[in-house]
Amino acid sequence: MTAINANNDSVLDHTASTDNYLTHTRGFLSWALTLDHKRIGVMYLIGVLTSFLGGGIFAILLRTELLTPGPTITANPTTYNIWFTLHGAIMVFLVIIPSIPAALGNFVLPIMLGAKDVAFPRLNLFSFWLWVIGACCAIVSLLVGQFDTGWTFYVPYSTTTELGGVVPVVVGVFILGFSSIFTGMNFVVTIHKLRPPGMTWFRMPLFLWALYATALMQVLATPVLAITVLLLIVERTVGIGIFDPSLGGDPVLFQHFFWFYSHPAVYIMIVPAMGIVSELFAVHSHRHIFGYRFIAYSSVAIALFSFLVWGHHMFLSGQSPLLNTLFSAISFSVAIPSAVKVFNWTATLYKGSISLTTPMFYALAFLILFTIGGLTGLHLATLNTDVHLHDTYFVVAHFHYVMMGSAIIGMIGGLHHWWPKMTGRMYSENLGRIACVIVFIGFNITFFTQFMLGSQGMPRRYYDYQPEYQIYHVISTMGSYVMAVGFMLTAYTLLQSLWSGERAPANPWGGRSLEWQCASPPPHDNFPVQPRVGDCYDFSCLRWSEEENGYIVDRSMDPELNANAPKRAEGAR
Amino acid sequence: MTVITLALGSALLAADPTPILGGDFWMPPPASTFAEGLDQMFMFINWLCYFFFALIAVLMVFFVIKYHAPKGHTFRMDGPHHHMPLELTWLVIPTLLVVPIFWLGFAGSRTLGVEGYVGLTTPPRNSYEIQAIAQKWSWSFKYPNGVISDDLYIPAGEPVRMQLRAVDVLHSFYVPNFRVKRDCVPGRYGYLWFQADEPTGHSRYHHLFCAEYCGNGHSQMNRRVFVLSRTDFDAWLKNEETWLEKIDDAELYWKAGPKLFARCTSCHTLDGVSGVGPSWKGIWDRVNGGAGSDGTFLDGKTYRDLIGPGKEFATPEDYIRDSILNPANHVVKPFSPSGMPTFKGQLDDRGIDALIGMMKHLDEFDPKTAKWLKATPEQK
Repeated sequence: MTAINANNDSVLDHTASTDNYLTHTRGFLSWALTLDHKRIGVMYLIGVLTSFLGGGIFAILLRTELLTPGPTITANPTTYNIWFTLHGAIMVFLVIIPSIPAALGNFVLPIMLGAKDVAFPRLNLFSFWLWVIGACCAIVSLLVGQFDTGWTFYVPYSTTTELGGVVPVVVGVFILGFSSIFTGMNFVVTIHKLRPPGMTWFRMPLFLWALYATALMQVLATPVLAITVLLLIVERTVGIGIFDPSLGGDPVLFQHFFWFYSHPAVYIMIVPAMGIVSELFAVHSHRHIFGYRFIAYSSVAIALFSFLVWGHHMFLSGQSPLLNTLFSAISFSVAIPSAVKVFNWTATLYKGSISLTTPMFYALAFLILFTIGGLTGLHLATLNTDVHLHDTYFVVAHFHYVMMGSAIIGMIGGLHHWWPKMTGRMYSENLGRIACVIVFIGFNITFFTQFMLGSQGMPRRYYDYQPEYQIYHVISTMGSYVMAVGFMLTAYTLLQSLWSGERAPANPWGGRSLEWQCASPPPHDNFPVQPRVGDCYDFSCLRWSEEENGYIVDRSMDPELNANAPKRAEGAR
Repeated sequence: MTVITLALGSALLAADPTPILGGDFWMPPPASTFAEGLDQMFMFINWLCYFFFALIAVLMVFFVIKYHAPKGHTFRMDGPHHHMPLELTWLVIPTLLVVPIFWLGFAGSRTLGVEGYVGLTTPPRNSYEIQAIAQKWSWSFKYPNGVISDDLYIPAGEPVRMQLRAVDVLHSFYVPNFRVKRDCVPGRYGYLWFQADEPTGHSRYHHLFCAEYCGNGHSQMNRRVFVLSRTDFDAWLKNEETWLEKIDDAELYWKAGPKLFARCTSCHTLDGVSGVGPSWKGIWDRVNGGAGSDGTFLDGKTYRDLIGPGKEFATPEDYIRDSILNPANHVVKPFSPSGMPTFKGQLDDRGIDALIGMMKHLDEFDPKTAKWLKATPEQK
C-alpha cells in the first residue's frame, strides 16, 4: 500500500506515453510470442475483424443469390448451401464468440483491474494460437472439399454428406473450443486473484461482471461441444453409431448435446456485449450507472439460466411434449434479467449529461435492436406460436437482432470506445456517427423484413422460394447492401485514424474506470504504480481540459481519492 | 379422338392449380381449425411487443434530447444511483407478464380464442390417418387403402393425423396455412394433426414445405396440399387405387409413365442436364450398348461390363429395375451412393414397366411441356 501515491498515477504523466506497448519491442516475434495481454488482444482483434470481413462477404453472396427465386448468381443449390454454412460457422466460431472476450476483453480486463497482465499470460498466448490453428482448419476444410451442413452440423446429414470438409472443420471447432475455454479460465482466475486492494466485487466495472459471467459459461459449456464434435468425428470416420439411426444411434441426442453448448454459447456472445453497453451508457452519459447491483446480478442470472433452456431449440424435434412444456416455461425466465437490464440502461440516461459520441450512438442502436431481438424471443418461447415460426425466417430475424444487432453492434461500440486507448489515435467522430446510422438503417431494412417473411411461412436455408416471397427478399438484400456500405465506412473511419487521426488523450470520453487513468496507448506495464481504486461510476470529479483535449480527474473533488478517506465496503452506492 | 382431346384438355386444366395466397400483414391465410387461435396468440404477443418497444424508444429519445450536454459542460450529479421500488417494479411486471404468456401458449384459452399447444398436439381419436415419408428430396403420402401420392390430399372437415417419418436425414413437415410443423426424424415416428374445413378442390392448393435443412434439394421439397370434400376425396382415392390397373397394357408407358416420372423430377431431368442424379436423356442407348455405354460406375465398371447375356444383368430392363429398387448397388460416376432412395414398396412391377416403357420412347416426349409429342402411342 505504500506504493500508492496520489500524484503519481496522474493522467498527465507524459513520460509513460513515450514508451507504449506498441513500441515497447519491435519485430515479428515480439508480437507472435508476446505475453502482453494488450498485444494478444490486438492480434485477436485483427483476426476477428478479418474473419468478420470473410463472413460478411458470404452474407452478401447469399443475400444476392436470394434476390430472385431459382438461380441468381449460382445455378447449384449446394454452392448456396456452402455459403450460408460458411457465413454461419465463421460468424459464430471465429467472430462473435472470441470478439468481445478474447479481443476487447483481453485488452481491457487487466487494465480495468489495475493489473499488469492476466493471471496466466502464457495460457493467453496459447489460446490465441489455438484460435489461429482453428481458423486454419476452417481454411483447410475449404481446400479439401468444403462443407454444407449448416453451422449446426445436424446429424445424420453431417455424417453422410458427400462434401469432404466436415471433419477438418469440426476439428477446427474442437480446437477453437479449447481456445475459448482457456480464455475463460484465465479471466475467472484473473478476476478472482488480481483485483487490486479496494476493488470489491461490487466495485468492479460492469464489463468485468459480464466477462466473469461469460467466462463461467465458456468453462462449463464448451467441453460439451468438444465431446459432441469428437463423437461426430468418430461416427463419420470410423462409423460408430452414436447419432445415425441406420447405425443404431439417435439424431435427437446430437441436438441435445449440441444445444447444451450452443444455447449457453448465444449468451457467451451477448452477455459481454451487455457489459460493454453498461460501460458505454454510464461513461457517455457521465452519470452513475442506474441499478448497478441489478445489472451485475442479471448477468449472472442469465449465465445460470442459459444452462437450463437448450430444449427450446428442439420443440419440434420429437422431444416429448412434457419436456417442451418445461423448457418453454424456463425459457421465459431469461426474459426477466434481460428486461431488467434494458430498463436500467434506459434509466441511466435519465438526468445524465449525455455526449452523443460514436460509442454512444452504438449504445443507443444496441438498446433499440436488443429490445426488438429480445421481445421477438417471446413469440419463439411460446409453445403454440413457435410451432408456426420454428425454422422460418422469423427465427433468422430474431437471432440476427440478438447476435448481430446486439452482440456485433455492442462489440463495434466497444471498439470505438476503446479505440483511442488501443491505438492512441482519435477517429473522425462525424464519420463514425454517420457509419453507425447507415449500419443501423441497413440492419433494420435487412432483418425486420425477415420477421414478416418468416411469419408468412418462408422456411430458412432455402436456395429457391415461392414467387410471393420475392418482394421481402429484394428489400432484405437491398438492406444488406446498405449495411455493407456502413461497415466499409466504419472500417475507413478507423483505419484513417491510424494515419491521420489526432493523438488521443488518456481520457477522451470522461470515463472513470482504471483504463482511463493510464496513457493512450498504455505503457507495457499498464501502470507505473498500482492505481488507487475509486468508484468507477462516480463522474463528479471529472473536468474537461482544453489543454489535454480530454477529461482529467480533479482529485480534490473525489473523497475516495483523498488519502485519508476510509474505504467503504460498498462502492456501488 | 375428340374424347381423348377433351380428357387431355381437362387434365391440362387440372394440372395448373394455383396456391392459396393472401392473409394479413403478418400471417398467411388461416386454413386449419386452429390457425386463427394461434394467430390470436401471435397478435397478443405482438401488442405487448409494440407497447414495450414504444416505451423504451420514446423514453430513450426523450432522455437523449432532454439530457444532452455538449462537450465540456459540467456534469449534473442529481441522477439517482438506484431506486429499489422502481427496480422491483420492472423485475416483477415482466415476471407477471410471462406467466400468462406461457400458460396461454401451453393450454390456450377458449374465452380469449387462443389455441394452446395441448390442443395442437392432441389429435382426436377419430382422426383420418395418413403416413408421410420424407426422403431426399420428396414426400410420399400413404393412405389407409395403400394409395401413395406425391402431393397431399386430405378430406375437408375431418381431423387428419399425419404419421411422420424420414428415410435418410432430418426433414420437417410444414404447412404454413395450417400453422403446423413437425420434424421427421429417421428411426422415429412423429405425428401431428390438423383439420381444414374449407375445400380447395383440385384447382387450388396450400403450400407444403420441408422446414429442416436436408441438403441440395431442400428448397425443392415443397409439395401441394389439396383439401377435398369427402365425396371428391373418396372419388380421388378410388381413382388412385385403380388408375394404374385400369390402363391398357398398350398404353401403359404413354399414360402412366409421365405421371410416375413426376416423382423423379426433383433429381432427374430429360434434357441432358445433370441434377442430383444423371439425366434420363439417352438412357436407353446407354444401357443398350449404344452411345454412352462406356460410361463408368464408381467401381470402375462400364454399362457394357454390367449388362448383357451372362453378365450381372441379362437385360437392360433388369438393370433399370435394380437401379430403382436398390439404387446404391451400382452408382454412375460422379453421382453419390446416398443420392437416391429406394422405391421398394412404392412402385410395383407395373409402375416400373411404365417407366421403362417411357425410357424407350423418350424421343417422342417433350421435356419442356412434359407431354408426348403425338396424341396416341405408337402401335408396334
